[in-house]
Amino acid sequence: MLSVKNIVKQYATHRALNDVSLEVEKGKIFGLLGPNGAGKTSLIRIITQITAPDSGEVFFNGERLNANHISQIGYLPEERGLYKKMEIGEQVLYLSKLKGLHTSEATKRIKYWFEKLEMKDWWNKKVEDLSKGMQQKVQFVATILHQPELIILDEPFSGFDPVNADIIKNEILELNKNGATFIFSTHRMESVEELCDNIALINKSKKILDGAVDEIKNAYRNNAYWIEYEGDYETASNDIYEVLQTEKVKNHTLVKLQLKPNRVANEALSQLLPHANIHRLDEVIPTMNDIFIEKVKGQNHE
Amino acid sequence: MNKILLIIQREYFSRVKKKSFIVMTFLTPLLIAGVYALIGFFAYKGIKDTHDKVAIVSANKTLTEKLSSNQNVSYVYIDKSLDQAKKDLSKADYDYILYLPEFSLAAPKGVELFGAKQPGMSLNRRISGDIEELIRTQKLKESGISQTDLDKLKTTVDISTKKIAETGKEEESSAGASTFIAFTAGVLMFMFIMMYGIQVMRGVIEEKTNRIIEVIVSSVKPFQLMMGKIVGIALVGLTQFMLWIVLTLAISTAAVSLFTNKEDIKEITASTQAQTQISGANQMTSAAPQGPVADIQKSLAGLDVGKIIVVFLFFFLGGYLFYSALYAAIGSAVDSETETQQFMLPVMLPLLLGYALSLSVVTNDPYGSTAFWLSMIPFTSPIAMVVRIPYGVPGWELALSMAILAVGFVATVWIAGRIYRVGILMYGKKTTFKEMFKWFTYKN
Repeated sequence: MLSVKNIVKQYATHRALNDVSLEVEKGKIFGLLGPNGAGKTSLIRIITQITAPDSGEVFFNGERLNANHISQIGYLPEERGLYKKMEIGEQVLYLSKLKGLHTSEATKRIKYWFEKLEMKDWWNKKVEDLSKGMQQKVQFVATILHQPELIILDEPFSGFDPVNADIIKNEILELNKNGATFIFSTHRMESVEELCDNIALINKSKKILDGAVDEIKNAYRNNAYWIEYEGDYETASNDIYEVLQTEKVKNHTLVKLQLKPNRVANEALSQLLPHANIHRLDEVIPTMNDIFIEKVKGQNHE
Repeated sequence: MNKILLIIQREYFSRVKKKSFIVMTFLTPLLIAGVYALIGFFAYKGIKDTHDKVAIVSANKTLTEKLSSNQNVSYVYIDKSLDQAKKDLSKADYDYILYLPEFSLAAPKGVELFGAKQPGMSLNRRISGDIEELIRTQKLKESGISQTDLDKLKTTVDISTKKIAETGKEEESSAGASTFIAFTAGVLMFMFIMMYGIQVMRGVIEEKTNRIIEVIVSSVKPFQLMMGKIVGIALVGLTQFMLWIVLTLAISTAAVSLFTNKEDIKEITASTQAQTQISGANQMTSAAPQGPVADIQKSLAGLDVGKIIVVFLFFFLGGYLFYSALYAAIGSAVDSETETQQFMLPVMLPLLLGYALSLSVVTNDPYGSTAFWLSMIPFTSPIAMVVRIPYGVPGWELALSMAILAVGFVATVWIAGRIYRVGILMYGKKTTFKEMFKWFTYKN
């Protein structure tokens, strides 16, 4: 539903985005990853039409991005706030009217959401009277109230306590089930593995990786295994595998093996079987965090 | 367009509903009325105070004319010895004893004034003036001029100023009233531009430090937000202005009618009129407020009040737009109000300069070249023009000044808009003018 094509954004001497392209599929949760300062926020600001790219194009449902799309996008910035002196209900009403909702419809929806998220009594409260977590709930409601097709959340879980983070996570999943597309921008990988279908990794203004989370993980499997067995038999590298690591826990031994090219796990097992009772064999699957660090470090060394 | 309206609404109502706005709106006219009442009170008290009672002990046979009381000093001749009079001073109903010894009219010497308090310079001058006058009258009489001839010598000249309008019609005008209105308009204009300009700046900083800005600019264009804020606050200003005019009029009318019920007022008016003839128009303004008020009322007919108000409103809106756009740009460039100083100075300076020059040079010479140029340059024209307008300004000058101001505010709004859209999203960097110029040159 959203295609970003060859976006370049230059700020004076600093190039924030260098020829970045990506595709976000309808109904998916898309993770926009990258270290701080990589250009994530610059890209989001282009998608939300806060700024315009120097070159390149963005298409929303096949149409070139234009002012009509503003009401179809919901955006929760990383640095977010509310008017301190304004009542919560009025504030959310104002924000949703700016997105084009009518007063009556907006009021109805605010009441529905306030009820759902257990913030019924907050209508007449002022922001100064709410905790940070409570404020974030208000901001979340304001982001989704106009039922946008595309919801962009920049570091959505920072500042939430675990209970509220869970509530919000469930709301996100429910909205997603009902057809909303999400873009998550984050540098925290744990949330990505759980929620995202697809990701793009941006570092130093360039996209360095993108695709489905499963595929990426598969691609980064490198035939390494953890094997746990009884006894303190020690194995050494041979022509089937290389021993990367050996740990002894009580009377068990844990080894991390890297298979040599064209070898399979069975061959490694048959090497060990004569010497020990095998308890467990796990493939080492890289976490997104590992991949992230590997890619980012790799690029930084170039 | 609809969104700008929403923003204007929010900016307007969030301010108008504030307690401080309501308090300010209702308190200020009361304060102004209070200050006037205070001035009136002191002026009145001043007149009473300066109305000293002087007992005269005269040992003078040469001087046959007698000192007669006037509105400053009342003289009573007492038939006591100087020593007795001195003794009685503390319980007597006179404040001072004037001792006139025997002297020749050619060299009047030895006049003494005794009092429980140190007599002021002005009393001293008044009494000596009265005695000099007395001696002069006597000398004139001695040289054979009759009382009727003497009376004929006294003449009072009242100049009534008339301005010839472009139409050739002569209009009654009063330099005093024009100056009064010019000052009031100039001070009000300066206050309004400053107050509301700074409100715009605060509003921008608030949105930036609240970090709500990014949510809002994902719904509306930064320019819409800036204009919505500026227009919303302008409406707050106009509301306040209108309320002030209405309330001030109501309160001062009430106060004046309350005041006039008292007997005192007649006394003041009478003495003011007497004083006017003697000491001229200058003292009148400082001594009693009723004088200029009546004066203004009289010559308001000569001034085109409707025109003055319309011009004032135009230049208020124009000047406000011109400056508030700059204030908005400043607000967008900083992270907190404490950082605004370095940018405030260059914006404040022309405004202050315009203010100071308008109230001094322009009121002295409202048709001079300084006045002309000040009322053309958009940085100073809002103040200079409203100061000039009560004295009358040629139509083409007014039109030109308005046109320049209009072009001026379109330009500042445009420039500010370009700085604003970048500035509001910049955090944590200390902004310089160079940086602001760079923002200005950014594409989108």
